Amino acid sequence: MFKLASKAIEVAQKHKAEFGDIRVIEERRQNLGVKNGEISALTDQSTLGYGIRVLCGGAWGFASGSVMTETAVADTALKAIAIAKASRLLMAGRVRLAHEPAYRDFWQTPFLKDPFAVPIETKLGLLFRLDALLRRNKKIRVAESELRFIRERQWHMTTDGSRIEQVLLSSGGNFSATAVEKGDVQTRSYPCTHGGQTLAGGWEVIEAMNMEDHAERVAAEAVALHSAAACPAGVKDLIISGNQLALQIHESVGHASELDRVLGYEESYAGSSFATTEKLNKFRYGSPIVNLVADATLPGGLATAGYDDDAVKAQRWHIVKDGVLSGYMTNREFCVKIGKERSWGSCRADGYSNIPITRICNLSLMPGNTPLERLIGEVRDGIMMENNMSWSIDQKRLNFQFGCEIGWLIKNGKKTKMVKNPTYQGITPEFWGSCDAIADHRDWRLWGVANCGKGQPGQTAMMCHGSSPARFRKVKVGMHG
Amino acid sequence: MKNIETVCKKIFKLAKGAQCEVIAEIRTGALTRFADNVISQNVASSSADFSVRLLDDGRSAKINFNQADDDSLKLAVASGLEILKKQKKDPALLPLAKPRALQAGKNLYFRETAELTPLYRAEKAAELARACKKSGQTAYGTFSNGASELVVANNLGVYARHRETYAAHGVTVRDRDGFGWAEYPAHDVNEIPFARLNDTARAKAAASRSPKEIKPGKYTVIMEPQAAADLLSYLAVYGFGGQIYNEGRSFICGKLGKKLLSPLLSIEDNALDGAAAGMPFDYEGQPRRKAALIEKGVVIAPVHDRKTAKDAKTASTGHALPQPSDIGPIPLNLSIKPGQGRLEDLIKGTERGILVTQFHYTNLLKPQVVEMTGMTRNGTFMVENGRITFPVKNLRFTQNMVEAFGRVEAVSGEAVPVAAWGAMSCPAFRIAGFNFSSSTKF
Repeated sequence: MFKLASKAIEVAQKHKAEFGDIRVIEERRQNLGVKNGEISALTDQSTLGYGIRVLCGGAWGFASGSVMTETAVADTALKAIAIAKASRLLMAGRVRLAHEPAYRDFWQTPFLKDPFAVPIETKLGLLFRLDALLRRNKKIRVAESELRFIRERQWHMTTDGSRIEQVLLSSGGNFSATAVEKGDVQTRSYPCTHGGQTLAGGWEVIEAMNMEDHAERVAAEAVALHSAAACPAGVKDLIISGNQLALQIHESVGHASELDRVLGYEESYAGSSFATTEKLNKFRYGSPIVNLVADATLPGGLATAGYDDDAVKAQRWHIVKDGVLSGYMTNREFCVKIGKERSWGSCRADGYSNIPITRICNLSLMPGNTPLERLIGEVRDGIMMENNMSWSIDQKRLNFQFGCEIGWLIKNGKKTKMVKNPTYQGITPEFWGSCDAIADHRDWRLWGVANCGKGQPGQTAMMCHGSSPARFRKVKVGMHG
Repeated sequence: MKNIETVCKKIFKLAKGAQCEVIAEIRTGALTRFADNVISQNVASSSADFSVRLLDDGRSAKINFNQADDDSLKLAVASGLEILKKQKKDPALLPLAKPRALQAGKNLYFRETAELTPLYRAEKAAELARACKKSGQTAYGTFSNGASELVVANNLGVYARHRETYAAHGVTVRDRDGFGWAEYPAHDVNEIPFARLNDTARAKAAASRSPKEIKPGKYTVIMEPQAAADLLSYLAVYGFGGQIYNEGRSFICGKLGKKLLSPLLSIEDNALDGAAAGMPFDYEGQPRRKAALIEKGVVIAPVHDRKTAKDAKTASTGHALPQPSDIGPIPLNLSIKPGQGRLEDLIKGTERGILVTQFHYTNLLKPQVVEMTGMTRNGTFMVENGRITFPVKNLRFTQNMVEAFGRVEAVSGEAVPVAAWGAMSCPAFRIAGFNFSSSTKF
């Protein structure tokens, strides 16, 4: 494949591009789903194509194609060059890229069992068993279970001399039960919502979830939510667990720290960020116990790879250290604008047909030193919420509001009644500033976000957020229209 | 790209005795993005994707691929047949659709739009950026164009082909702490009012400088078409999908023929003609029908595909998504019936209210009643005694949309095309008692 790729490099060099690269991507995706006893998804998808980026005359051009011949690759490279020339019509200065050494390397996601070698009947067998367990509860109106697997093989060549081959593998699964009663719809999911839990790895990721052990409990909780009281409105202490805290990290820290957003390059779509560059190493983002670490080397992380799509080697760095804004998600272009001579390496593209853009890396809240029991035990009047249902945040990543699947009131240090439709709202730095305890490493786990949308044209990326339950004081809860 | 019909015939041959459906989509697209008054991203893509569904004796399998040479086709279809063999029988599985007469649909393909050059796109970005630079403003946005050809075919004789082009100009302007926005999607680039969009965004940005904080609470809201469309698309999709309806998860369950919403609200799904036209057939190659969803506030019916129609003992309206689908059929060509007057008239008739240009990051809290939250963005203004008095800092709403669209006070007479989940045409709305639940800092 590198032979085919080298045609694009040759064309870029012939046209005196300051930088050029080609990523040839071969991707296989398998999605399986069962809903109410019927197959709702059974897709095996294979795609092959390439994306070519050139920096020519100080401006960018990108073109992609899927015709796998040297002529087509050369034509696509010429198209990218023509686009770069058009970009020069409106530029303020020449784009400069941070230096990165050239690499010749192979990297792959470690795994134990190739999920594509696991027979379809084994996978469907698991889904049908889950479906039967969920629908054993006669009050369940909709039972859904899913599995998904992605293997992406990349051949990345740059005019800098990098020649990197990577194979990224991820596996995911989940199920949910929905009960409908008198116009009220309640859903519980396992292990989490939004397409479930996905991690880097093979079939062992699915086995480790022990999904069948949780099906009947989850169905019972969906039914029980109907008789639960509504989440009370007011100001309460809040403990967040499950994938809700992962999404809180994702939306209020991950996106806010993408340097392209911070510099205004996403203003026309997703928005910008309050975490502007003059705040770096000064701004109090959260309380002193809040440490958020980006890590492209994290085992199991969906953004874990040997190199990003700028051909920058994987790194680990703080975004928030001891509560202070300490870093950004960067690519090789924008890091230069904050005086950084090397990118932290968080630039990725969705498939072959999209240009690499600045992305959230794996971003985790470091565990604290409070046992979970004490986290709860120290709350007089509070609420615990789990698993995200609804999410919304403003275009500077300040005002957010989340809804969760389930909540439990905490009274005098004890987790008590279940409540339905719990919601909470806050302003990012005030909210993280109210974090006064984080559960210790025993409850720390990695949550996958497999559907993060960004950019124009829209791209999807995957990343993980590790966290253990955390406590936030005096949060506004129970918003409803 | 090879002739799609030839590729389909090859696939049918490889499918041996199985029923076989092919959905083929050939796309080209380009997008020029600008920020901070410079072009920040400039891309083009081309793709050819095939989705093949095989059915045999109550079993089904689906394979997707993008390489259509003979060897790749053989390999792909053989793997599909292998998956098929290992399936359990599904008693609910419908056989493939039989061919039915299709209407031609509205012409949505414009060669000039398909062939716009990178220089043309760059010039459109430059027009706004130059004007902004002169006045100390900053331009952000995209101009995009492209073409697609979609074929749905099966070996029972269905062969449906549709092609269309698109172009869209979306601009955001910053004027110190003020923001303005405008957008217009079209099939024909000549329909886009570039100058008007640029002027609107610039004027809004200037007018929204130094916004004041106001107390959250219930206000009359005047929603420009794009803001109203954002909310109404949720109302239509989560209320009127045949599967959601069959599962008892929609607010219209048990309410067909009843007046649930304002008599000023009428919505139809119409892919065949009109401002929200699109593909005149669905993803099973069945004819799309015009479907009235709400007439003068009265709930008419959900949309169906063959499967949900069978379960509901009614006829399909031709709204199938690619099968199998876990969300089922949804309306994607929404025309919201205009009322009378202009947006300015809606403002004039308001004693005290908030004018919203655009909503941001809207999402559902309770799907079954379409309770939603989201933020205002890019121009939010206080209206007092029939005129705009000052810009306000952005607000978050938390609101049950079934209730809100039961309190419509006025609908403007001008519907505009809006980029939503599908095609959409929507006027401006004024609604009483809209719940703004919190505010933000800008």
